[in-house]
Amino acid sequence: MSFIEEVIKSLRENIREYGMFIALFIIMLVFTIATDGLFISSRNIVNLVNQTGYIAVLAVGMTLVIVIRHIDLSVGFLAGFLGAVAAIAMVSWNLPVAVVIPMVLVLGILAGRLTSFLVADLGIPAFVATLAGWLGYRGALQLATRATGTIIIPNDAFNAIGNGFIPDFFDIDVLPGIHKFTLVLGLLSIILFIFNQIRNYARMRRQNIEMTSTGLFILKLVLVSTLIGGISWILAGYQGLSWTAVVILIVVFLYHFVTTKTVLGRHIYAVGGNPEAAELSGINVKRITHVVFGSMGMLSALSGILFAARLQSATTTAGNLFELDSIAAAFVGGVSAAGGVGTVVGSLIGALVMTSLTSGMNLMGVDISYQYIARAIVLAAAVIFDVTTRRAAK
Amino acid sequence: MGDAVDIHTVVEMINIKKSFGAVQALRGVDLTLHHNEVLGLVGDNAAGKSTLMKVLSGAYIPDAGKILINGMKASFTNPMDARRLGIEMVYQDYALANNLDVSANVFMGREVVTIKAGLLGVMNYPYMEQETRSLLNRLKIDISSVRQKVERLSGGQRQAVAIARATAFDASVIIMDEPTAALSVAAIDKVLELIRELKAQGASIIVISHRLEDIYQVSDRMIVLRQGRKVSDTPVEGDIHEFRERVVAYMIGARDDFTEKAIS
Repeated sequence: MSFIEEVIKSLRENIREYGMFIALFIIMLVFTIATDGLFISSRNIVNLVNQTGYIAVLAVGMTLVIVIRHIDLSVGFLAGFLGAVAAIAMVSWNLPVAVVIPMVLVLGILAGRLTSFLVADLGIPAFVATLAGWLGYRGALQLATRATGTIIIPNDAFNAIGNGFIPDFFDIDVLPGIHKFTLVLGLLSIILFIFNQIRNYARMRRQNIEMTSTGLFILKLVLVSTLIGGISWILAGYQGLSWTAVVILIVVFLYHFVTTKTVLGRHIYAVGGNPEAAELSGINVKRITHVVFGSMGMLSALSGILFAARLQSATTTAGNLFELDSIAAAFVGGVSAAGGVGTVVGSLIGALVMTSLTSGMNLMGVDISYQYIARAIVLAAAVIFDVTTRRAAK
Repeated sequence: MGDAVDIHTVVEMINIKKSFGAVQALRGVDLTLHHNEVLGLVGDNAAGKSTLMKVLSGAYIPDAGKILINGMKASFTNPMDARRLGIEMVYQDYALANNLDVSANVFMGREVVTIKAGLLGVMNYPYMEQETRSLLNRLKIDISSVRQKVERLSGGQRQAVAIARATAFDASVIIMDEPTAALSVAAIDKVLELIRELKAQGASIIVISHRLEDIYQVSDRMIVLRQGRKVSDTPVEGDIHEFRERVVAYMIGARDDFTEKAIS
């Protein structure tokens, strides 16, 4: 088999995994051409990443909720409400940021546990239970902001989460205007990635596990390294890695680790694949439900913090439609509505696809009505792609 | 002499009763399973076969009666209790997670970890995959990769995975509920082959089936239930036609070996 044939074969076999990466690449390419390179400019990409932040963290949590066959409609206004709580805690109660953030995250977990109490312990369908949450948190947000209207957050440290950038520790004279520390981080990730891949590859070779050819393996290394390098270079061209990007990376890394390497992750997917079988195998399905909704609540709080920090204020409509954006991101990223299928990284890509669409069409000056229709088509196409490739695989 | 018999009796269920509302599903059933024996359990629909086995596997709690496992009185409140005593059930619908691979299904709920940290323990993939591989080889199950998702397997392969999982953790008793239902003829032969293989390796097995020829092929002894009572408990012998006629006679109530006991 020639190398080209093997590449094509691998693409065909793993089309479901690579599909969304290819989609993201094509969307970015099209917008870059359509906007004469404005789309791929450092400033726009940094902005795009920061815009994706509060949806991406929700999409990560929503992935697990949908994997265990539930849904959470309350996350948007819960995020908005907890963002307002954070603002009030800093402005009216004069609490320091270091206290406010953990406090709000814990409140998020408690809110998630309230949902899972309704869903797991009382057996109320998640759709209904979280619809009630949607109404309730919307009311709570309006109550919290009624006295003052929009609450301006004067705290620089807090606002940096949504607008700030990591400092450049290598502020030397080479490459002026380029964020050196971001480049160093990018380089480190590439080295770490290659090292890790080679170690895995060697182990698989030792154990004689079926695997790809060396040529394809090197191609994958080169492609991913180029991607990381390219993104680092683009980000470094503006002000470097934003704190929002750091938050996204930490959340995605943690959740990717938990879902792929730990017993908890295995149990979550087992519950999603067959709840009865999971229960019979001794997996505590209720406990998994509590954990997943608890994590969703915590990520809602994080989303609220990111959004409030980005606007440097808590508004009366914060969180509006976040739930639908994050659900759409998860589905675009390959999560299956039937449960049991979907990855955290996929949902991050899904979120990036959706924000890229908005950002690109904004740059092109596309009317907002057409923007919604375009996003509808992408969402539908993603799910159609998912369903047909799944059927073909059987 | 009495002791020797006890040691060779793996399961003893005595006078098991279970009602669901007004319906008496089990009206005092006795069942004995000897070591390294394949016991066939047959009966018409609603005769109480599945209910009896769910009692043994801990899914149902009986209203009356007692269960002895290896001579020791046992009381189960859930399937995990029964499993701890080495009783494994293979469910009719396989009870597999189709979205996970073969190895993940075999170790479902019993994941092996490198770092112990409760739910956050880090799984030992290589160990679980190697163990699964050697388990499949030992049982002569033909599946090319333990990383294959269960949804990609055929019905027969899925049943084989379900059975392999039940045997993976030193089970002393394996209960199979309709292991050949919904399988092709070729797949049925494979499953029967697997049951013989398990017996050859020393397992004690109870097979529920409505396919009498399957029971005839693999079982040493057979119990017939009818309307929640045991009506026959005999070795499997004779030619298949005679066997079939005899079993059907018990199933429809034309014959009954335990009438007196039931009345008393």
